[in-house]
Amino acid sequence: MVPRSVCLTLAGWVRPAAAPKGTSPERSLGSSFAELLLLPGPSEAVGADGSPFPRNRLLWRLRESVALGDRFSDIWDTVSLTSRRLILLFYLAFYGFLAALFTFTMWVMLQTLSDETPKYRDQISSPGLTIVPKPPGALEFSLNISKPATYENYIDAIKEFLREYEGKKQEHLLQCRNGTFFEQDNIFPKKTCKFSLETLGPCSGLNDVNFGYPDGNPCIFVKMNRIIGLRPQGEPRIVCAVKEGTEVNLATFPKDGRLDLMYFPYYGKKLHVNYRQPVVALQVQFQSYNQEVSIECKIEGSPNLRNQDERDKFLGRVAFKISLTQ
Amino acid sequence: MSEARLGLWSSMTSKVHSCSGILWPESSFFPLSQWLYDHRLSTKELEEKYGTNILQGLTNMRAAEILARDGPNVLSPPKETPEIIKFLKQMIGGFSSLLWAGAVLCFIAYLIEFSKDKSASLDNLYLGGVLIVVVILTGMFAYYQEAKSTNIIASFTKMIPRNALVIRNGEKYEIPAEHLVLGDIVEIKGGDQIPADIRILTSQGCKVDNSSLTGESEPQFRSCEVTHENPLESKNIGFYSTTCLEGTATGMVINTGDRTVIGRIASLASSVGHEKTPIAIEIEHFVHIVAGVAVSIGIVFFIIAICMKYRVLDAVIFLIGIILANVPEGLVAAVTVSLSLTAKRMAKKNCLVKNLEAVETLGSTSIICSDKTGTLTQNRMTVAHLWFDNEIYQADTSENQKDQIFDQSSATWTSLSKIVMLCNRAEFKSGQESVPIMKKIVMGDASEAALLKFSEVVMGDVIERRKKNRKVVEIPFNSVNKFQLSIHETDDPNDKRFLLVMKGAPERILEKCSTIMINGQEQPLDESSVKAFQDAYMELGGLGERVLGFCHLYLPEDEFPDNYSFDVESMNFPTSDLCFVGLISLIDPPRSTVPDAVIKCRSAGIKVIMVTGDHPITAKAIARSVGIISANSETVEDIAKRLKIPVEKVNKREAKAAVVSGMELKEMSPEQLDELLANHTEIVFARTSPQQKLVIVEGCQRQNAIVAVTGDGVNDSPALKKADIGIAMGCAGSDAAKIAADMVLLDDNFSSIVTGIEEGRLIFDNLKKIIAFTLTKNIAELIPFLIFIIAGVPLPIGTIAILFIDLGTDIIPSIALAYEKAESDIMNRKPRHKKKDRLVNHQLALYSYLQIGILQSVGGFFAYFTVYTVQGFKPDLLLYLRPLWENDSLNDLEDSYGQEWTKYQRQYLEWTGYTAYFVAVMVQQIADVIIRKTRINSVFQQGLFRNKYIWVGIASQIIIAVILSSGFGSIPVLNFTTLRIQYWFVAVPYAIVIWLYDEFRKLLVRHYPGSWWDKTMYY
Repeated sequence: MVPRSVCLTLAGWVRPAAAPKGTSPERSLGSSFAELLLLPGPSEAVGADGSPFPRNRLLWRLRESVALGDRFSDIWDTVSLTSRRLILLFYLAFYGFLAALFTFTMWVMLQTLSDETPKYRDQISSPGLTIVPKPPGALEFSLNISKPATYENYIDAIKEFLREYEGKKQEHLLQCRNGTFFEQDNIFPKKTCKFSLETLGPCSGLNDVNFGYPDGNPCIFVKMNRIIGLRPQGEPRIVCAVKEGTEVNLATFPKDGRLDLMYFPYYGKKLHVNYRQPVVALQVQFQSYNQEVSIECKIEGSPNLRNQDERDKFLGRVAFKISLTQ
Repeated sequence: MSEARLGLWSSMTSKVHSCSGILWPESSFFPLSQWLYDHRLSTKELEEKYGTNILQGLTNMRAAEILARDGPNVLSPPKETPEIIKFLKQMIGGFSSLLWAGAVLCFIAYLIEFSKDKSASLDNLYLGGVLIVVVILTGMFAYYQEAKSTNIIASFTKMIPRNALVIRNGEKYEIPAEHLVLGDIVEIKGGDQIPADIRILTSQGCKVDNSSLTGESEPQFRSCEVTHENPLESKNIGFYSTTCLEGTATGMVINTGDRTVIGRIASLASSVGHEKTPIAIEIEHFVHIVAGVAVSIGIVFFIIAICMKYRVLDAVIFLIGIILANVPEGLVAAVTVSLSLTAKRMAKKNCLVKNLEAVETLGSTSIICSDKTGTLTQNRMTVAHLWFDNEIYQADTSENQKDQIFDQSSATWTSLSKIVMLCNRAEFKSGQESVPIMKKIVMGDASEAALLKFSEVVMGDVIERRKKNRKVVEIPFNSVNKFQLSIHETDDPNDKRFLLVMKGAPERILEKCSTIMINGQEQPLDESSVKAFQDAYMELGGLGERVLGFCHLYLPEDEFPDNYSFDVESMNFPTSDLCFVGLISLIDPPRSTVPDAVIKCRSAGIKVIMVTGDHPITAKAIARSVGIISANSETVEDIAKRLKIPVEKVNKREAKAAVVSGMELKEMSPEQLDELLANHTEIVFARTSPQQKLVIVEGCQRQNAIVAVTGDGVNDSPALKKADIGIAMGCAGSDAAKIAADMVLLDDNFSSIVTGIEEGRLIFDNLKKIIAFTLTKNIAELIPFLIFIIAGVPLPIGTIAILFIDLGTDIIPSIALAYEKAESDIMNRKPRHKKKDRLVNHQLALYSYLQIGILQSVGGFFAYFTVYTVQGFKPDLLLYLRPLWENDSLNDLEDSYGQEWTKYQRQYLEWTGYTAYFVAVMVQQIADVIIRKTRINSVFQQGLFRNKYIWVGIASQIIIAVILSSGFGSIPVLNFTTLRIQYWFVAVPYAIVIWLYDEFRKLLVRHYPGSWWDKTMYY
């Protein structure tokens, strides 16, 4: 009493029956690919020339499947062509609606803003300091007196920077009263105070068109970032000090590196069209060649201008290096 | 009516069994040759073969030698995947590999930067580290969840150490069963589990319960004679792990451990491969879609970035961002938690889930192959019908048997009840006074226990009544007599007669009677009453019930005075010309909740197939009474009987139902089986062997069905393993079944499966919602990178912020969706089609990615532009500002208003932008979680506040965002800033649009079912 058929069953067709299951994911992928190549689309069962597999459609499907990824295509393939056209149409309309919605909300948002002043100045409560000219990359000047090419660019940059301050260009500007804010909240158009290059002494470029570079006394200009409505308290000045290196003298112009209050507040690009930013010139007078100095300039004398922020190295201060060789 | 059926009481003879044909195959699984002869060998030959002595047993030394050679007598546990492999699988499976790739790219990017500039920013290094932490944490989390659910089961499978009574050196020892060796002589008694495969040497009324092996619910006699050439059918073999119900026996151990029959079946189970769960396949499919989208967009934009003359390093960083944005990092955790929440919920409803993924499998089940005994039935013999006074009365077979409504006024009943009560050796175990009758443990045979409980319920206090009717003498049942007899004093002090009561196989009882009691009056047994008896016997037998006949005789006082000495051996009392009183039929009745559950399965489109080791007639009767074969459907045989034509002439297509025995199944080719499964909606398989269960399950799986198999016996374990979901019985189930199963029914109740199915379907729907919710914001995280690359604007959202959305704000809401109630009656729809009804279909992907996702991105960008504009950078200026914006040495970048910004100030603004975008996505995800509550119904139909967890989720989103934005987030690497209050509300209009749009979508889907919109927009 040995039931043979069961033995056969177990040995024979159990395994083959189980085998396709294990491989089904791969097979489904494979079969979908086969369908892709062989099956015509549902609405175009027969091509124009009567051939069962229209070529263009085939290519289209192939391309689409590549674009969407094979996995995606096997669900996408089930969507009929008419349905696909409707889907395209729908998305056109839907995105049209989205674009309109976005435009509308942006428009509403812009309506609440003024063109002249930004609503908030949360991130720029205190200004940063920057220098002109600016070496590419890190702030490290490497000057060689005997090679003008090492500083010609700097001189050009300074000239470009100071062009705005030339006497001719400031002719129509006001000569303001020193030491007080130039308040003009209710005055339109806003007027601008003159910044006289003379105050920059040897760095003014009036006498030395090379700003001391060939002589080993390079001029570097320190400016404070413009911030609308900023009113520095006290008497802000830019104080520079040598951090490393000894045989240099530093001279700042105007005297003590003062930033006159008459240049504040700033009213913004649109209202304050000809605004001239106050500048402090720093002349680094090398006593000997072949040395490197690092210098740090800070805003001082004004309690509301910060100069010691751990994370922002340019907030109220700026540090740079100059190496001078012969 | 089959002869075998009518003689159920007599079925303990070998005759019935020899033709019953449990199919024990001799295949590679069962090399019977090894002990083919053990049952035929004489005791002498056995002693020689195993080098033992029947009386003295083995010597201790010899036993120790054999133990050392063969190993202990235990089943080797199934090979478990090592924990470390399980853990590693979680680490590299699914999205983890993408994240690993992202992390590696981060490190490469950092190394490239570092090699160029020693002071390179550590951001990439941090990000790589964070990614690895994310992968490991989510992996560990998933592993923990898995392990937690597995541990519950582990406690189940801990075997109670069993002892065996063994004779060694001529003395009896009690030793742990695992120390048994070949040739040991063991003694077993009622209540013991047989400690190994044994050849019976002596037997005193030994009966075993082989149901865990063969599914037969009737006790089997064991004796020392060879009754069958097949050792598995022969009565002189006792099988490991079966239970000795009563009597005693001694036997010689002929197989131990894995070499026992049970051991072989268990190893068959472990050789059956386990299929991937449907949800695993679905999730894999989904992972492929997402990974495909991530990788293809990543590569496309990598190429675009290179073409736009970005540095390779930057292009790599973009690639990282794109991958990161595309991968739903939190999804694995959310899915695992949802599944384990459902598992918990199911455990409360008595479905204990071993494998988390099985939670969903139950929901997609389309065929349930249910075992009969214990699952559909109560697994205890119960009085079903009574026949007296020429009438069949129905007894209450429900679980408590409280409502016995049959006529108890007849004098015949009084007599019958007395016989039932007295002619019964079963007793309640002592110390169970407070236990309800039905739960009391009874010592004795199943039928006798049923009758005892029945009389206890109907008459009360059987033991006291038995005391009043003192038993004088008795003849226990034996297979030759086929009756049981006892003689009692009566409880009437004035009546000095003795009462002889007898029960047994109805035809044998009738033979011994000359009169029959009708309405309390003895009447001669004439032709018409015999006819009535035959009809009743046929009818009850046809219901698949075991029928017993009862008769009595008052012995005349003059012949049998008080002091008469009855002798069992000489039978000095009459055993003929008795008075026939009635019939009682017994059945293992269906559980009362099962018919309802079967109907529910039907309406849920699930086919319920009964697969049992029991007789076809019993199986069919139970199938009919629980609705597996519905009232109006017929089998081929039924049609043949009705039309009075031969079975061969019946059109098989007309028959909805089919009852197939193991013998018939044996003859079937796979094609025929397929045809059978496809063409009949109501199928019962009877007399099936373990291998055939496997064949049936595979046949169902060939129909593309997802098959659930229930079972309790060791014989079920291969099928349990093979099934898509194996369901073992928690109370009656064997350990082997529990190990092989994915789920354990704690109350052994079929209707618990239905609640399980409901939960499974619900979680599938809810997983859809969870995935739709999660995928949506991926687009909102991705688009910023694309715009960043193409339009050169400052980066709208950072990678860390993306991680905080995926693993922070979005986690709890997505889990909350798992608590969502069903939208409609999920038990009224068809089970999902394995291939067609996918978890993530193109509707879901397109709707989430290209509609709501894009909408969210637009909302996010609106917030982003608002922040920049309000602070001074108008959108037009931002376009292609990137080279200047990111230039570290440019510390006086001019904004739209002529103000100048240092690099750090811009950086800080960028972080504010991240935060604003983050908050915008968070706000829109609130709308998203609300719309995802439903897929077709309006959120208001579903009840906005019914699922409280959604609101917990929304609160968590807001709280996490607030915490990040206020203080905590200012930790350097995290790059969150404190936002002005109004920025929190910038995206609210978009959130409202999302809600309104989705309500509009659902409205159209509801109103135009089957339309293009429905097909495209319903996911």
